[in-house]
Amino acid sequence: MSPGCLLSLALAAMVAGTCCAPRWTRLWLGCTVAATLLTLGAAISVLAGGPWEWHGAFPIGGELPHLRADGLSAFFLVLLSVIGLAGTVYSSEYWSPKKHPGSAYPGRVWWNLLLLFMGLVLLCSNGLHFLIGWELFTLCAYFLITRERHLPAVRRAGWLYLAASHASALCLFAFFAAIAARTGSWDLGPLRDHLELAPLFWLALIGFGLKAGLFPLHIWLPSAHANAPTHVSALLSGVAIKMGIYGLMRFSGWIPTPADAGWVVATLGVASAVLGVAFALGQHDLKRLLAYHSVENIGIILIGLGFAMMASRAGQPGWGRLAMAGALLHVWNHGLFKALLFLGAGSVLHATGTRRMSELGGLWRAMPWTAASFALGAVAISGLPPLNGFVSEWLVYLGLFGAVDGLGPGSAAAVPAAILLAVTGAMALACFVKVVGVVFLGTPRTLRAEKAVECGWFMRSPMLLLGGACILIGLAPALFWPALQSAIAAWEPGWAMDVAPAPLLSLGIWNVGFALAAALAATLLLRRVRRNGIARAGTWDCGFAAPTARMQYTAGSFAGIITEWFAWILQPSRHADKITHPFPSRAAFREHTPETVLEKVVEPSAGMVMALSSAMRRLQHGRLQFYILYLVFGLIALALLAFWGGAP
Amino acid sequence: MNPGFTNHFLLPLLRGVLQIAILLLLAPLLPGIVNRVKAWVAGRRGPPLLQLYYDLGRLWNKGIVLSTAASPGHLVGPAIAWVAILGSAMLLPLGPGDALWSFKGDALLFLYLLALARFCTASAALETGSAFEGMGAAREVSFAVLSESALITAILALAVQTGSLSLTGMLAPVPNPSAGLLAAGLFTVLLAENCRVPFDDPNTHLELTMIHEVMVLDHSGPPLAVILHGAALKLLVFALLLAQAVLPLNHLSLLPATGCLLAAMLVITLLVGFAESLLARFAFRRVPLLLTTAFLFCLFALLTAWKGVS
Repeated sequence: MSPGCLLSLALAAMVAGTCCAPRWTRLWLGCTVAATLLTLGAAISVLAGGPWEWHGAFPIGGELPHLRADGLSAFFLVLLSVIGLAGTVYSSEYWSPKKHPGSAYPGRVWWNLLLLFMGLVLLCSNGLHFLIGWELFTLCAYFLITRERHLPAVRRAGWLYLAASHASALCLFAFFAAIAARTGSWDLGPLRDHLELAPLFWLALIGFGLKAGLFPLHIWLPSAHANAPTHVSALLSGVAIKMGIYGLMRFSGWIPTPADAGWVVATLGVASAVLGVAFALGQHDLKRLLAYHSVENIGIILIGLGFAMMASRAGQPGWGRLAMAGALLHVWNHGLFKALLFLGAGSVLHATGTRRMSELGGLWRAMPWTAASFALGAVAISGLPPLNGFVSEWLVYLGLFGAVDGLGPGSAAAVPAAILLAVTGAMALACFVKVVGVVFLGTPRTLRAEKAVECGWFMRSPMLLLGGACILIGLAPALFWPALQSAIAAWEPGWAMDVAPAPLLSLGIWNVGFALAAALAATLLLRRVRRNGIARAGTWDCGFAAPTARMQYTAGSFAGIITEWFAWILQPSRHADKITHPFPSRAAFREHTPETVLEKVVEPSAGMVMALSSAMRRLQHGRLQFYILYLVFGLIALALLAFWGGAP
Repeated sequence: MNPGFTNHFLLPLLRGVLQIAILLLLAPLLPGIVNRVKAWVAGRRGPPLLQLYYDLGRLWNKGIVLSTAASPGHLVGPAIAWVAILGSAMLLPLGPGDALWSFKGDALLFLYLLALARFCTASAALETGSAFEGMGAAREVSFAVLSESALITAILALAVQTGSLSLTGMLAPVPNPSAGLLAAGLFTVLLAENCRVPFDDPNTHLELTMIHEVMVLDHSGPPLAVILHGAALKLLVFALLLAQAVLPLNHLSLLPATGCLLAAMLVITLLVGFAESLLARFAFRRVPLLLTTAFLFCLFALLTAWKGVS
């Protein structure tokens, strides 16, 4: 079937699902799953068979609809449908009408609309319709984030999200309007010969960057992703912020870019990567921590994109292609493992009712499936072989090393970028050892953690699906090269390369061999241990006789060394009771890492604007005689201006 | 038999098996030499050279005591870490012999395999819920941020110097002035990553200031044997990396190259032993400073290499 046919079927299924959502759970689930699968099929057929285009006959908002699916939009459409599928199945148990009677049904409607409008944004090839789709999906996401709006924290997060999204939309309105004014039509497409459009890239960078959550425009992201229902967090983190990346990739490919754009994007990428993971280390809330890791991974994607832009300007397809392939593959990979991790965090929240890591611990025993999937996601997001995170980071590294090797333009930037990317990787590893250790290993720290039970199959199977995808991309990366090529060809037509590069094949073979060897070694060791005999005893702990669960290392102390290095930007606030007497009474230690950019920069400056505004309000007091006085002053001023100002 | 089959399949396979066997068998010798040096400097009799082999054999046949808090990951972690370290060793060339598996960009795979080993040991340490092991794991993963930045800088320096992105190409340096800087940087990283004085003290587990050694407190029996062997193998890997990053062995023929490599390994091991005998462990807060110094050494090596090429 043609992509158009599949997409119209998907649209029909999605609309049917949306109509069923308020009443019939099974029908809703079936229709939505069918819609995501049909979209996946359409995207794959576009990636394999070439672009698809459709012109509508009836104008919407004065413009004829124009849909286009090329390699790049199909690439993102694959991600949307896979994460959408996982999230839909997961939410049917996680956000069930039984647990959330008031909010589950409307939540399903908003969920379906969010999927629908994100798909439309990916397909729209008309500036006006792109903006409408963008605004609609932003609003749907707002209503999903504020599902639990009886909580003040959720309302605050939702408001911040809405404000940031509209700042982004404002930039995009200006961006598309300026393009339309220059070209005389809202229709979008490759416009590389309009060199005068280049400065508009900065507008796109702010608009799409706000959505993508790059540092320092990420202020809305942690609270929104932490406070949304978890399946929504997975979709927001896995796909919605990638819409910003899609925009940046789309328009850096379609309109000409300024000379420095590659540098700026790569620098912002490096800053997002390092600082994102530094902030993540300081978090004690599981979902907030994962949200900061999205900032980090967006940074890695932008490093790849930035260097690809430099290569495109310098005419260096050799390493530019690798950097771009790394950026694109990381879009998929981050979507997969971040959604997996969020769903795992959701299961923990579902079972224990808390997101605070200091109240968890030892969950592997009660929740083995969740623990294993989460650990898999943790290895993947730390960029370790043989899983998918390593493959995409490795491609980005190859791009950077290629830039260094040529000693051409960009090589001076590639050296610090490569070193800081390695630092990011090591810090992400530290952070995820902390999360896995504190949440799932050891002994339960509270009664809540002790009483946890494993989630059901509707929540387990999406995690297994995403975990399987992480393993598949890790073990057979060359399988996905044609999809990457299709997307790269849509970005820079001259760069396509049909056969996968030889190192990628070698890496795939290595990964398979390594996975087999690791499995073999683990089995042999376990068998040996079983044969020799296992005696169970309490943790030795250097002979301490009465250890309690509270004595385990906490998330804060685990990350303490690194957060101390980054205290200059994390600005953690710590409260400790001083011990004064020989026999100390109860003591407490509290640590909190604020969202520094928001609380130390944005809020004070916004407060200043508010203070100025309220000072100005004194002029408006409702006394008529003063208003007349203002009029007289105004007239005098105008008269003086006309008299001396040399008016014609 | 078909000669093509023999040349393209059987011989490489034989060579591979031989190379792995040499790596596995040689590794436990290095800590033995270090201990002999320490005993000699201190005027003690010290353990025999082959002590670690006896220990490994004994541990392999012992039963284990497993913490009630630990999951199967406590046992699987050391196995995966060991395979990862062995994998990183297989990516290194052995003097005259090429690496067993080599492709463009395998230097990064090398780096990340060591990181995977770290992930496995650190999370296996957290399995028991012991505060001691938590401390050790935290220090391990935190200081690794600095040593990893030093390592990637060294790799970048070699890449700039040789214009190659695979370890086989990179570890064939031309004689040049940055070698000394690189040697200093990599030797410091070697000490840090292999729990040697002045960063750590492999003699004792029961100190609050331990890093690596404290992570294995609750391991026993075969898993402990795997951890000990992995640690020895890691020392060998770092020594091989250091020796071949500095010495231009590829200009020599088979026998002198092998001899040089073996001599270099011996020298490095002796240096580790002397460092351990003559230095005291650093105060804890100075560890990051020393690692930053190692990073700077590698950075200056990179800048020298850059200047030399352009």
